[in-house]
Amino acid sequence: MPREILIDFARCTGCLSCRLACAVAHTQAKSLFDAVLAGEKPRARIFVHQLGQQKAPINCRHCTDAPCLDACMAGAMYRKEDGTVTNEGGEQRCVGCWMCVMVCPYGAITSDAAGTVALKCDRNCRDESGTPACVRACPTGALVYTEVEDYSAHRRHGALGKILAGGAGAP
Amino acid sequence: MHFVVIGTSAAGIAALETLRRLGGTRARLTAVTDEPSEPYSRCLLPDLLAGKKSEYSIRLRPAGFFPKLGVEFLAGFKVVALHPEEKKVFLEDGRQLSFDRLLVATGASPVMPEVPGVDTRGVFALRTLQDAREMASLFPRVSRAMILGGGLVGLKAALALKVAGVPHVTVAVASPRLLTRQLDEEAAAMVERELTAAGLEFIYNAQPRAFVPGPHGTLAGVELADGRELPADLAVVAKGVRPNVQLVREAGGLVGAGIEVDRYLRTSLPDVFAAGDCVQVTDRLTGRKTNSALWTLAAEQGRYAAANMLGLARSYPPPLTRLNSARFGNLDVVAVGKMEGEEVLRAFEGTTGTYRRLVFEGDRLVGFILAGKVKGAGVYTALVKTGRPAWKWRHLLLEGRAGRVVLGCLPPQRRVESKIS
Ligand SMILES: Cc1cc2nc3c(=O)[nH]c(=O)nc-3n(C[C@H](O)[C@H](O)[C@H](O)COP(=O)(O)OP(=O)(O)OC[C@H]3O[C@@H](n4cnc5c(N)ncnc54)[C@H](O)[C@@H]3O)c2cc1C
Repeated sequence: MPREILIDFARCTGCLSCRLACAVAHTQAKSLFDAVLAGEKPRARIFVHQLGQQKAPINCRHCTDAPCLDACMAGAMYRKEDGTVTNEGGEQRCVGCWMCVMVCPYGAITSDAAGTVALKCDRNCRDESGTPACVRACPTGALVYTEVEDYSAHRRHGALGKILAGGAGAP
Repeated sequence: MHFVVIGTSAAGIAALETLRRLGGTRARLTAVTDEPSEPYSRCLLPDLLAGKKSEYSIRLRPAGFFPKLGVEFLAGFKVVALHPEEKKVFLEDGRQLSFDRLLVATGASPVMPEVPGVDTRGVFALRTLQDAREMASLFPRVSRAMILGGGLVGLKAALALKVAGVPHVTVAVASPRLLTRQLDEEAAAMVERELTAAGLEFIYNAQPRAFVPGPHGTLAGVELADGRELPADLAVVAKGVRPNVQLVREAGGLVGAGIEVDRYLRTSLPDVFAAGDCVQVTDRLTGRKTNSALWTLAAEQGRYAAANMLGLARSYPPPLTRLNSARFGNLDVVAVGKMEGEEVLRAFEGTTGTYRRLVFEGDRLVGFILAGKVKGAGVYTALVKTGRPAWKWRHLLLEGRAGRVVLGCLPPQRRVESKIS
């Protein structure tokens, strides 16, 4: 069964642990201290937003009908066998045209420090148990990595998805 | 079931992948294109010209893509006729292909001005890999290039030539400013500043009247409508595209601003579907019929057409036909939806050098421009697309705080995404 990162919006305290963990996990050095020493510029691919009292982490939903896949004019954005949508690790290279940024309804795609390639959640931060770094770091259980049936995965994309993604939808 | 796809660019590739994904291994897939090469990204041709990319690195898909997908790939063959009643297409080498369902994804071709000398050696359009190769082969001898057209393709080509080392690059624009169809005056001026800093020159209100050959028959200059003649040994025409509709029209299919398709991407011919730059679409906001002409739309139409070819009945929602993202030098620009409307809000953020323009109709965001920082642009696009009430978010949107808007768009009862624990 596919596993997805689910967000429990009620539990987020806005502590930003997920962002730090995400940024560090995506460095070569794998530790903040060593990464900074080595001149790396750690960038988080998960975002924490606050509106009034409401706080919440938002990251890529790896949408079923991901608009970023349609928009990528370099052919760099692709879906891996495990469902992960990413612009890294394939043969084609991201060119930083921001077409994906223009169509992501969650605003979940950012750019690298130099502003030359798009960065997004690639789940390339999973430990031996397969759990992503942001989930491991979340102290309140606002982020949960869990198996979802295809059906509920659909429903979930439905929930967040319908709200913002609008016409994206099938097929 | 035998599916034949004509054209293996954005629309054709998306369709083939979807036909395989949803149609399973038993669907027989054949793809034909008149270009001799593996699929490549047209949009990256400027990067190829600039020397930033190689032919290898602008390919759209990894090596071995067609065999792996189980597609018979016929490259370098033009389809010259379509006989819908016999369910056959005819290739230029005399071969015939029978189909059960056909997808016409033939794209578009550049519009060339009907002026004397347009066939002179040294006058180009930039649409195909072949165009780019021929242009690049002239580079060492080019000292003055003239670009005709101040739209996206023209400006990208101009900048590419400059980066490639052409000493003088001049853009002749028919309008009084750049990117009239994409940007407002402020954003266009930002682009102009960026490109001027990169060394490009601009002439406004300028139309070509003739391309003038020199003594060896190659281009020597461009004569403008006002009588001026400007020296140039290379000219690139970038005055828009015209959908490739011939096959369908000659077969008796309906054609408007492009091939006419219904919401299932069916043409008026039985079992013939069409997608991408070759079709006519209805703009989601204005209801106007126009040609498609955008990468994103080509890919999504390819996907929808494929589903419908498999009999899955997926209705294609009317698209936004202004949906552009581009980078000029160090300036990023995103422009979506309408440029004018009842209420227009604009702001310039000095700290990040970002300009934002929002266009509202009533409660609804119907268009926007971001120039500078484009982070979160997709949230604006989603608001334009869905038509959700957005007026109450205007301040956040004007300040670029799209993330907060995402939160705000979650209705209270949905703020728990799923029952966990
Ligand atoms: C330089 C440049 C920059 C661009 N930048 C952007 C951008 O930033 N954003 C954006 O949204 N769009 C951009 N575009 C437009 C984008 O490339 C097109 O919207 C997109 O390629 C359309 O895809 P398509 O599959 O519909 O058709 P096309 O890409 O036109 O492909 C159609 C294919 O069908 C083949 N064909 C046609 N007729 C026949 C026939 N009779 N028999 C066999 N084969 C045939 C053609 O040779 C071609 O290979 C750019 C275009 C150019 C040229």
